Amino acid sequence: MKITVDIPTLESERLILRAYDPARDFDRLAAFMATDKSRFFLGPLDRYGAWRLAATFVGHWVQRGFGLFAIEEKETGDFSGMAGPWAPETWPEPELAWFLTPDKEGRGYGTEAALCARSYIYDQLGWDNVASAIEPDNAASIKLAERMGARADYEHPLPKGGVVVYYRHPGPEAL
Amino acid sequence: MTPGMIHIPTLETERLTLRAPAARDLDPFAAFFASPENTQYLGGSKTKPETWRYLGEVIGHWAMRGFGRWIVCRKGSDTPVGLVGLHEPLDWPETEVGWYIWDGKGEGFATEAGAAARAWAYTTLGLTTLVSIITPGNSASIRVAEKMGATRAPDWDHPRHGALLVYRHPGPGGRI
Repeated sequence: MKITVDIPTLESERLILRAYDPARDFDRLAAFMATDKSRFFLGPLDRYGAWRLAATFVGHWVQRGFGLFAIEEKETGDFSGMAGPWAPETWPEPELAWFLTPDKEGRGYGTEAALCARSYIYDQLGWDNVASAIEPDNAASIKLAERMGARADYEHPLPKGGVVVYYRHPGPEAL
Repeated sequence: MTPGMIHIPTLETERLTLRAPAARDLDPFAAFFASPENTQYLGGSKTKPETWRYLGEVIGHWAMRGFGRWIVCRKGSDTPVGLVGLHEPLDWPETEVGWYIWDGKGEGFATEAGAAARAWAYTTLGLTTLVSIITPGNSASIRVAEKMGATRAPDWDHPRHGALLVYRHPGPGGRI
């Protein structure tokens, strides 16, 4: 007997959302996790920590049946971030999470990837609503969530201190 | 490895089944890691959310490397008694065979499951050597390594945990 996890591939105009590929994605993931921007996404981490985190991304698919997709820029094939449904233990509810590597910002990729992942959540997973958990000083993600029609719903305390705000997205019926 | 695909085989020994770790293993796994006593040689206790993430890391390791660790159960039971197998995160010096047993200590489960993992590494992966990395003072684990025929090699300085004991296993066919 063996277990198999089959991570689908999604496509938008300029991006492919696919399974994390250690051979192609690790260096760029590790570079992102070394930046201060990764503080909103389980960082900062050294390369070793980034490797372990990447393993948890894949494990999450097995543990939950869904998880984060690697975002690939079609034009270059570059790993450009991650997006997808995310539900680590003890969080109040599953969320739609995302991050972009800093060199791919400013082109609307974050919104494009998050919209693609949200469609996957509604159409393939069949959820009737989803929120995104965002720290109050993560202005870029708040802007992105609001652009997608999400609105602040409630606060939840973080283990490291402070809070995270759940931004509730419009449900599938409102889209 | 095809990204997005993880293949974890099941191994059988005389008394044990080594199977893929799964989400349902969280509670026994978390109970083991919650105990400072159990984890005194394993980097200290973990909370349940930390253990959940660690279980994900154990599963994801298979995707990263094509090998990893198995949940060990008594044959005919699905209840985990330990985690045994191959381990090589990015900061590891080489491929390790390791064992955690939380139920049935003293029954030789670590040796039996460790030997099955080692045989799989040699026959299926074609590895030619393995080490076990053990925290000084973990005499139960040292006994397992010695029972498996492993011998002391130079210590490894772990960046956070300091000097760790390295035991090198006999290679395929029992070569030292």
